[in-house]
Amino acid sequence: MSDSLTRVEARPAPSLQALDITSGYGGVPVIRDVSISVGPREVVAIIGPNGAGKSTLLKSLVGILRLDAGRILLGADDVTGRSPEELARRGVGYVPQVNDIFEPLTVLENLEMGGYLLNARQVKERVGEVGAVFPQLPPMLARRADKLSGGERKMLAIARVLMLDPDILILDEPTANLSPKLADSLLREQVRRLAGLGKAVVLVEQRARAALQIADWTSVLVSGSVRLEGRPKELLDRQDFEELFLGAGTELAASDNSKLEEA
Amino acid sequence: MDLYVAAFGFGLVGMSVIAIAAVGFTMQFGITNMINLAYGEVMISSAYVAYYLNKAGITIWVGMIAGAVFGAVFSFLLNRVVYAPFLRRGTSHIGMVIVSLAVSLMVANLLLPIVGYYSVSYQDTTGGLIRAGGIVLTTNQIAIIGVAVVLMLLIHGLLRYTRLGKAMRATAANPTLARNCGIPTGRVIDAVWLITGALCGLAGVVAAMNSDSFAIANGAGFLITALAAAVLGGAGQPYGAMIGAVIIGMVTELSAAAWSPEYKEVVAFGILVLVMVLRPQGLLAKRGALAAAG
Repeated sequence: MSDSLTRVEARPAPSLQALDITSGYGGVPVIRDVSISVGPREVVAIIGPNGAGKSTLLKSLVGILRLDAGRILLGADDVTGRSPEELARRGVGYVPQVNDIFEPLTVLENLEMGGYLLNARQVKERVGEVGAVFPQLPPMLARRADKLSGGERKMLAIARVLMLDPDILILDEPTANLSPKLADSLLREQVRRLAGLGKAVVLVEQRARAALQIADWTSVLVSGSVRLEGRPKELLDRQDFEELFLGAGTELAASDNSKLEEA
Repeated sequence: MDLYVAAFGFGLVGMSVIAIAAVGFTMQFGITNMINLAYGEVMISSAYVAYYLNKAGITIWVGMIAGAVFGAVFSFLLNRVVYAPFLRRGTSHIGMVIVSLAVSLMVANLLLPIVGYYSVSYQDTTGGLIRAGGIVLTTNQIAIIGVAVVLMLLIHGLLRYTRLGKAMRATAANPTLARNCGIPTGRVIDAVWLITGALCGLAGVVAAMNSDSFAIANGAGFLITALAAAVLGGAGQPYGAMIGAVIIGMVTELSAAAWSPEYKEVVAFGILVLVMVLRPQGLLAKRGALAAAG
């Protein structure tokens, strides 16, 4: 996409920064000394092989995992160690890869829970506004969320997080389990549009090439560390990029092959 | 035939008592993931709170409210002081069951020197007799049915229509996502222990009212009956627990009329075993706890 090629070179002032963070499960670090930042109108893609620690990084950013070391800044405020509830109040929205909706609740109830911090009148307004962004949702408000298709489900998960109109959106593989066509339109249309509305977007993607096409900045995470980062174009121009990437075990080439992806 | 009609009346009372207990028990499990085997002891402790008030000349209806308040506070503290610290340290599910069993034994044995091992009964628990067709019930038994119906409607309204109730269901379904939505799950769980504790305390008082007499040893029986109704309906499902209570309450009374009152519980648990063999997930169980009804 030429969009990313023509964009000005300076990155925006960061709304969210992770500085040298180390975290993991049960005292065993999965990511080590990772630093990333994202600013308004920016899509930062995090790519890397399975098990590189991409989801762990996102869980650390949103307060689900405690940091063993490092700091997290929201604007200028140090929010290291704050709870997920507080980060949600402060404008950090998170869509996990799995368990991304409340299955036994209806679509409307899911949206209401997304807007838990709003009053009843605001919830009503936001349901209308979010329904305008995802026109598929309003006709199915009374349906139980576990009856939705994969695509509808992801729409609901994103609509749910938009209820609070967060400044920062953290999306963990939003295209997993979607058809290549749906995945492509989700990334190009919805994710890019959300950044266009001024939001800072951090995106983890298995579909590396698709992610590079819509990202403003990309970090390549390998074995828990940022191995490479830069503008997608610069990365793609590097002679050794695919080699590095493939050497790390990621299927960059394969991710462009929809047949393989569907398998 | 009259015998069966009369038994049907007693079944209505029995299912009301069981429903209050079982809904509280199953909500505790469904939302907090805690199989609280101390539930029966909290019930019987609350029954004794009402007993001492009643003995001091206070009407049993005030005693019932006191029992509910006691049950709520007791359950809330039980979670805060005992269960939550163990959970924070990552105690396994089965470990927590053992912890609650230990609590149950401790409560029963701490209570024993205070209340004694002998049976007691409330003073004014009969009231006048009311006859309708072949059904003969006391006014107090009819009041128990009324209390149960009102409570079930309140629980339904809470879970379906209030912000807190929906947050409870959301927390039950996906606690991590609930926190990411900004839902203060800690406070939601506190509310769950208070509400289910109140149901537990109230259930203890009505169960005691519905027996001729009660003793500390009845706590275990209260637990087993609530557990049976909850499991029959699908563990963690409030509407399932209501259905389980209807079946167990009715079957035990009808079998008592048909056969012998001594085999009441055998029949109830026979049905439980049968349902578990045919449908191990319980009657209403679906994916995820506290699913919306219908």
